[in-house]
Amino acid sequence: MSAQTETTGKKVGWTAVNILVLLYAFIPVVWIISLSVKGDDTLNDGNFLPRNPTSEAYTTIFNNADFLRALGNSIGICLISTFVALVLGTMAAYAIARLDFPGKTAIVAMSLLISMFPQIALVTPLFKIETAIGLFDTWPGLILPYITFALPLGIYTLSAFFREIPWELEKAAKMDGATPYQAFRKVIAPLAMPGVFTTAILVFIACWNDFLFAISLTSTNRARTVPAAMSYFTGATTFEKPTAAIAAAAVVITIPIVIFVLLFQRRIVAGLTSGAVKG
Amino acid sequence: MSTTVAKQDVTKQDEGVDIAKRRASEGKRAEQKLGMLLCAPAVVVMLAVTAYPILYAIYLSFFKADLRTPDANEFVGLGNYITVLSSPIWWSAFGITMFITVVSTSLELALGMLLAIVMHRTIVGRGLVRTSALVPYAIVTVVAAFSWRFAWTQGIGWLAGDSAPLTEKWPSLWIIILAEVWKTVPFMALLLMAGLALVPEDLLKAASMDGATAWQRFWKITVPLIKPAILVAVLFRTLDAFRIFDNIYVLTSGANDTSSVSIVAYNNLIRGLNLGIGSTMAVLIFITIAIIAFLFIKLFGAAAPGQGRS
Amino acid sequence: MKASARRRCPKLAAWLVVGSLASATLAACGSGTASGGVPVVNLYGSASDADFDKILGPCNDAAEGRYKIVGNLIPSDADSQREQFVRRLAAEDEGMDILGMDVTWTAEFAEAGWIRELTGEKKEAATADVLQPPIDTATWEDKLYGIPRSTNVQLLWYRKSLVPEAPKTWDDVLAAAKKLKAEGKPYIIGITAAQYEGYVVGFNTILSSLGGTLVNEDSTKVTVDDKAVEALGILESLANDGLASKSLSNSQEPEVFAQMQNSEAAITINWPYVLSAMREANKDVAADLGVTRIPEFAPGTPSRATLGGMNYAISKYSTHPDLAFEAAMCLRNPESQLKGALSAAGNVPVIRSVYEEPAFVKAYPMKDDILAEMETAVPRPKTPLYQNISTIVSTTLSPPDSIDPEQTADELKEKIQQAIDGQGILP
Repeated sequence: MSAQTETTGKKVGWTAVNILVLLYAFIPVVWIISLSVKGDDTLNDGNFLPRNPTSEAYTTIFNNADFLRALGNSIGICLISTFVALVLGTMAAYAIARLDFPGKTAIVAMSLLISMFPQIALVTPLFKIETAIGLFDTWPGLILPYITFALPLGIYTLSAFFREIPWELEKAAKMDGATPYQAFRKVIAPLAMPGVFTTAILVFIACWNDFLFAISLTSTNRARTVPAAMSYFTGATTFEKPTAAIAAAAVVITIPIVIFVLLFQRRIVAGLTSGAVKG
Repeated sequence: MSTTVAKQDVTKQDEGVDIAKRRASEGKRAEQKLGMLLCAPAVVVMLAVTAYPILYAIYLSFFKADLRTPDANEFVGLGNYITVLSSPIWWSAFGITMFITVVSTSLELALGMLLAIVMHRTIVGRGLVRTSALVPYAIVTVVAAFSWRFAWTQGIGWLAGDSAPLTEKWPSLWIIILAEVWKTVPFMALLLMAGLALVPEDLLKAASMDGATAWQRFWKITVPLIKPAILVAVLFRTLDAFRIFDNIYVLTSGANDTSSVSIVAYNNLIRGLNLGIGSTMAVLIFITIAIIAFLFIKLFGAAAPGQGRS
Repeated sequence: MKASARRRCPKLAAWLVVGSLASATLAACGSGTASGGVPVVNLYGSASDADFDKILGPCNDAAEGRYKIVGNLIPSDADSQREQFVRRLAAEDEGMDILGMDVTWTAEFAEAGWIRELTGEKKEAATADVLQPPIDTATWEDKLYGIPRSTNVQLLWYRKSLVPEAPKTWDDVLAAAKKLKAEGKPYIIGITAAQYEGYVVGFNTILSSLGGTLVNEDSTKVTVDDKAVEALGILESLANDGLASKSLSNSQEPEVFAQMQNSEAAITINWPYVLSAMREANKDVAADLGVTRIPEFAPGTPSRATLGGMNYAISKYSTHPDLAFEAAMCLRNPESQLKGALSAAGNVPVIRSVYEEPAFVKAYPMKDDILAEMETAVPRPKTPLYQNISTIVSTTLSPPDSIDPEQTADELKEKIQQAIDGQGILP
């Protein structure tokens, strides 16, 4: 009986905390959604919730072929960037965390330095290179910079995870007759999953929301992604901001990320798998 | 007689040691080769994309260069650096940036840790909480910033009422910090949560059975074990916080002395098309961040990747 | 399953990269010339205006197959547009033919050699029957660098029920606001004074109306004098006499518009779009809106409003400049101008004859005020360093309530001279 009330008590407690988290996350989001359904007459009335909601803004953006194309571009470019960055990052992180080779510190330092240099100063030279080799306004033209700037975080996160996994596991697997690849696949990789999926989510979001490269390295809807496309939305005149349309677009483009995160967060499993590590 | 036998034993021993040494160095070479091979693709991509731009930006910082007159570049040595470093505009922006960085990162670490614990341990609706907690991070920064600006504008926003906080320096700074913190606590929480996932349950159970309170378990067991995750989270967050741009640009455009160093660099580089000064500011921002990163890694000791094996 | 995928991954990744590179290179070919080899005239700017296809279509028909105008999208705010143009022009991009240039960019782009000068016949055609002020905005050092296409001037908007008589001088405006405040009615005077370009527009209007300038004609010397001190005094007293909004230093056009819409302001200075936008936003206020030209800041002398607008320029790197010129001329011929004026975009025309068209007269009841302001309108300081000077002015004058006329004028003088000499950094 006491065990039951304890569990119910805990459940109530956690539910209360969960509600706090949801409030934190969603109150400003509800405001954005509210902005997206406010018509011209109620936009400036200062109310949190809309008085006369209208779906005008959503109709506008879905009738906008450029926006839909941009959505496609974003999805494709970000999925590819995340995937390639993960592959390259995992390989490099494993090497850095577990192996000893010359130039290791240099590579780590270099990747950190690259992520530290203000990107605003890199945009114009990068633009020049890409126009020179014909990558301007193409998918690879965006994918390559995205991978580059995702790798440092990826390498750092993943190597932090690889480091935490004790050597004994690998040695035990090898003594049991596994090849290095099998040791990696069956023992190490599953333990590094939390790191891998965490990195995947962070890289995807960073790529999805990037504005600077998207606006500087594209000029047509061949490669323009959604954040850039949103800055192309016009109000009726130059002095009127298309607030509702921008808010609607923001809501729409958050949905793929929510799906992506929902799918991936399940893989960030709690604790190490059954009895892998004791003490 | 015993010495000859002993000598034979020694020679055999020597041979054995030699063979072992050869095998070890072969193994070592193989390991080195594998290590370099695994890193090669990442290194190639990173260098190919950023080598020329970074070197070019550093090169330009020693010149008087204007994008409109590409043939009139004039070598000025450290002239640009002196101009920037002796300007009160730069130092004011530097101070603001430091303030925002320290305050927002500290808040994000504290709140992020709390959120990570909730995301990790909640027994009700875990998927919902985890996904919802990430939504602030998932919203496009400029739209979130714009919605905060709208919300805090007198008369038309739901938070402002009759006041005009965005017209004064300190209220604006706190709104900027609010926008930053709201947006990036999930980033911290996610990294910290993944770190929490590595803490063995058995350790915590054993400790609680020994009578340790939740507070003690947290500080004595959990925190030391997730130090690498904390380092990664705080390091990368600090580096990003120092380069804050979008939130300030949308909320105040740097009015009332709320410019960050990135806003000043943007104004000089893109508005003023002054490649020399703009690149100089970029290099200075870079050096500052590098110093911060260096201090971090020193402070947190051996928690940097690639150092020592566990 | 994930672990095994990881082993195949390097190969898979490699194929993905190769595949995307290949498809991208294939996609990279095939721009610049339309199918069938008809030269494409790439228009950058104005293409996203409401109902622009009504202007573009007839012009493509008029081309009779000799060329095809393609409207390309650009970001909606002027600063981002300039950023894109500058980057591509500095890289000598041949893919841009007609540029929709904000009026403040003429000197900068001309000095950098990015836009073509229009001479002889082209100059005559571009300026025929065009109001003089827009022509001025397209001129630098007495050379014409663009085809005037649309113009803009701010007007004084007021609530007829609160301000029965249209204010004629700035003192009238202040007096009306004081009276309304005493009566407890909406009284705010709304102007755009946030730290941005719109603030420079307002300051330029006041300064020019007093007869002052910021830089001399060929932009080699700063000319800040006591007229600037007077202008600064006007701004400072507006901010500190309690007749302006509390969020004056955060007010851009949308905020000033909202102040009128929400009946906080009785008098505002804003662009002509207010009429049509207010009809959508608040019909009651729209019916009560009165409009007149900007009040006199120096009593007896008509005010000199700052010009906005856009000109079409031909890129230096265009591969068919003559076709581009022809296309641009069609895009801004009288028919196109009328359509643009009547559309939701509300582009104020530059061609005199359009102002007499019945449809235009009906849609623009304030056309006479606009024309009257055109008689005396002035461009913003004509200088290749306009962006620098604009940033300096807007930061030095912000926030309006901390202006000290003498001191701020000295600061302005020093910083603008520094900018001209290429010293110092921008805030």
